[in-house]
Amino acid sequence: MNTTQHVFRRTAVSAALLTIFGSAAADDAKIEELTKPESSISVGVGNWSGDRPQQGIYDGMRNNGTYGLFDADVNKRDDATGTWLTFKALNLGLETREFRGDYLRQGGLGGFFEYGKTLRENPYTINTGLQGIGTTNLTTGTNVSSFQKTNVDIGTTREMIRAGGFVNIMPGLDAKLDFKTEDKTGTRQAGWGSAPLFSVEPIDSTTRQLDAILQYTGERLQLSGGYSGSWYDNNNSQILQQLSGVTTGGTASFSPVTPMSLPLSNAAQQIFLDGGYGFTAGTRGNFKLAYTQATQDENLPSHSLGGVNAPYVNAPSHLDGKVDTTLAQMGLSSRFTSNLSMVANLRYYDVKDKTPVAGYVGGASGATVYNTPHSYSKTSGKLEGTYRLPANFNVTGGVDYEGYDRSYPTVGNVYVPFRATTNETTYRAELRRSMSETVNGAFAYFHSNRDGSEYVDASGTFHANQINPMHIADRVRDKFRVKFNWDPLEKLSLQARVDYSQDTYDDNGRAYGLKEGNSQVYALDAGWTFSDDWQFTAWYSHDVTDARHVSVRADRDNPNPEAIKTANLKDTGDSVGMGLRGKLTSKLEGGLGLDWFGSASHYPQDIDLLGTSGAYPSGAGGALPDVKSTLMRINLNAKYALDKRSDLRFDVIYERWHTNDSTWNFSDGSPFAYYSGTQSCGNNTPCNNGYTGVVDGTTVTAKETQISTFVGVRYIYKF
Amino acid sequence: MSFLRQLLLVWVLCGVAALTGGVASAAEPPTDKNAPKGLVLKGDAKCTSCHDESDDAGPTMLGLHKSVLAIGKTKHGTTADGRTPSCTDCHGESEKHRTYRGSDDPPKPDKTFGKKSDTPIVARNETCLACHQGGNRIGWQNSMHATQDVACTSCHDVHAKDDKVRDKLTQANTCFACHKEQRAQINKPSHHPVIEGKMTCSSCHNVHGDNPKQLVKASTNETCYSCHMEKRGPFVHNHQPVSEDCAICHQPHGTTTPSLLKARVPFLCQDCHSHDSHPGQAATLPTGNTSSSSLLGTVGRGCLNCHNNIHGGNSTVNNATAGRFRR
Repeated sequence: MNTTQHVFRRTAVSAALLTIFGSAAADDAKIEELTKPESSISVGVGNWSGDRPQQGIYDGMRNNGTYGLFDADVNKRDDATGTWLTFKALNLGLETREFRGDYLRQGGLGGFFEYGKTLRENPYTINTGLQGIGTTNLTTGTNVSSFQKTNVDIGTTREMIRAGGFVNIMPGLDAKLDFKTEDKTGTRQAGWGSAPLFSVEPIDSTTRQLDAILQYTGERLQLSGGYSGSWYDNNNSQILQQLSGVTTGGTASFSPVTPMSLPLSNAAQQIFLDGGYGFTAGTRGNFKLAYTQATQDENLPSHSLGGVNAPYVNAPSHLDGKVDTTLAQMGLSSRFTSNLSMVANLRYYDVKDKTPVAGYVGGASGATVYNTPHSYSKTSGKLEGTYRLPANFNVTGGVDYEGYDRSYPTVGNVYVPFRATTNETTYRAELRRSMSETVNGAFAYFHSNRDGSEYVDASGTFHANQINPMHIADRVRDKFRVKFNWDPLEKLSLQARVDYSQDTYDDNGRAYGLKEGNSQVYALDAGWTFSDDWQFTAWYSHDVTDARHVSVRADRDNPNPEAIKTANLKDTGDSVGMGLRGKLTSKLEGGLGLDWFGSASHYPQDIDLLGTSGAYPSGAGGALPDVKSTLMRINLNAKYALDKRSDLRFDVIYERWHTNDSTWNFSDGSPFAYYSGTQSCGNNTPCNNGYTGVVDGTTVTAKETQISTFVGVRYIYKF
Repeated sequence: MSFLRQLLLVWVLCGVAALTGGVASAAEPPTDKNAPKGLVLKGDAKCTSCHDESDDAGPTMLGLHKSVLAIGKTKHGTTADGRTPSCTDCHGESEKHRTYRGSDDPPKPDKTFGKKSDTPIVARNETCLACHQGGNRIGWQNSMHATQDVACTSCHDVHAKDDKVRDKLTQANTCFACHKEQRAQINKPSHHPVIEGKMTCSSCHNVHGDNPKQLVKASTNETCYSCHMEKRGPFVHNHQPVSEDCAICHQPHGTTTPSLLKARVPFLCQDCHSHDSHPGQAATLPTGNTSSSSLLGTVGRGCLNCHNNIHGGNSTVNNATAGRFRR
């Protein structure tokens, strides 16, 4: 096949003998070894020497300590019936364990069962006195010593079970069923809402997804249609967080008992039909049709609150939310000649939010804040042609179109100006050499132009309408991409790639917003196989993202700005990967790898002062420091064959993470602490019973340097 | 969950029992004594008379010499399935290759699929699509991968026991062979758990399909909602860009900013919000305790310190803060 090498060339005599006697002379054991499915299980133990808050966010090994290592890959096939039984397990010794079992009678019947657990642990050290974490009733102390502070673990666990199968009803016609349920539990860092105080959202929800599909695959016609349903059930609908000992007073803007709404249970049902038809050997059409209805009609929990949190008198108790989504798509691809092919696509995607509009905030004179259903439709299409030139060159030209048509609120406040329609057309051309023994490459150029309808003004003051929101602003985008693959030697391959993109935003008479964006990625890859048993690979990547934002600072209702701020944001990244793999002896093989990743974010701001105030308000620490992070990981592994059926594998990983991230610091580097200040609870009465400010004292810190070494050993048994 | 746990246990026990005993009674496959006997596939003798066990180095650590016979370990090697192809179904009859008797390398088979193949990519892919055009590959010909001349075998290793692109732990490396930008992004401090092996590229992308960005669902948001259904709403107070496209604010492959945000707050928020008063604050860290909204847009969660429900809120509290994602 791909790179098959003939180990030896037979003589005519040996070939003739083998032809005559066929496999009778073959080594049956070796054939079986080469052709029968294999299985393996591995059992071991590993130890991390230090905590890994950043690198252990997802892998279930955040803390130092010893972990069980247990994986399995069992594959059994009954050759007579073509029936497979497989079982794959990963990380059974860890909290992130997962496994899947499959029964498959190939072409006739199949079923599977899957279990998986995914962690997402907060990488910070959170020290807080907040009471009731994990519940919907939280209490914040009114001063730093109200409650003893402890380090708390914040994070979520997803526990998923999935099952499904298929049955072949008749040749070409299969029925498929796939059901997944996932419980998500735990906690998520949050904010109080009334004031900048620490909060924690309890997570206790279940998502379920069901797909029932009927699928026909014929020589020319293929169809796939069915039903897809998804349900989100949240067991928590609202947090009530209060200041310790404060039971009276307050206003709706600062309430000693603040309700924070949580996502409510919702559902979506979809029917769909996809199809394709081969008109001729080189011409094919396809289509997609789908209709989805999403609903949310739970009790709005804050509706039953009283006092300062009482609802507007005419506010509905249910949203009666309903969103209908329609998709219609058709495509055509054709090879007109052996050298010319074309692809065309047309797509209509319509999201219609049919939720009734009602006032949810208001007073005696009527509603002031309404719910904000958002509808939009997106029409897109592409036309692309590829012509094959002599000498294995291809040239491709294409036009893409994407148009949005959006609804906009007709009542209530609009905070940001927007456009009902935007249109973007992209022209692209590519020249590539796709077939060559040693060299191939491509150069592609894209030019996009986005514009749209007149802006609908925001209902805010002067400055609110000077912004050009980034996702609807007029934009010219130029991109090019260069790819180059070169195999200068039989065993040496090199690959280079450059991606460059430049965005320029037209301000349309609007002074503020994103003005320019630029992104560049440079990548080099090399692979050198210097013998049948040794291989070295290396890659390097450098990426740069620049963005120029212009924004304004102004006093409330004053059309004259205090300052114009220009931020030239820059992110850079460098990534290096190197690996050496080889066979030391007939029984010992191994590898050595190095990964290094560095990222830096720069936030320089030019502040042009136009008023009387300074660049920063009192209490500000000045310019924002850069954030730099590096990760180095060195791994060494070796596998020693104890015998034909069993191996021992050793792994050593050294990992060093360093960051100077100051996101959770005051400007002097000390930990930021949550603090509400003195808030009025009406009639100029402090809410906090005379304290000068609610200092809940919660701190969030990142461990700057995290070093840990892993040593692991596994026994692998193959059967 | 307790019922599900019990169900799980029962299933596992049944599975173990089946694996240990169920397939032990496998019968010998039927044979036709008059036909030349193949080694793996039906009618493969015309190929395996040369490409036999002595010609086959077997799977090796570096995978330099692909094992032809290893196809027997795969679904394509399950001969009891009447649809299973033979060598010539994919490689052609290859008469010149088979009948060559010289001492040097024979002519290539009619169709080859390796890196140095001179078989047109469309022809290579048609070989696979002859059986695999259905399901989520219906739209392959209109997909970005197809129009970029990606061959099925650019990613899939058909003869290998372990097709790396179908293994969650190794799939991303196959994709990164071309998608260098995503390789750099996925290693940024804020990323989806791809390198940790908890999800992979195909969790979000149907690489055989013709959806925008080759996503598994019809839109970015529908794809995100598969796992982040709590963001679906509809909410009483919707945040318009959230409802329209998660990717306006998030870069799903990885960023240096927490929560996969494209830029740090308040810069990101200020790309749309230009109100007077505190939304226009300069990015800075406070010097000490403060409750000033003009000093809290950068530190900690930034604007989200107070605007906690930025994806949408359901509050009916009779105050404008409800509509500003603070309740």
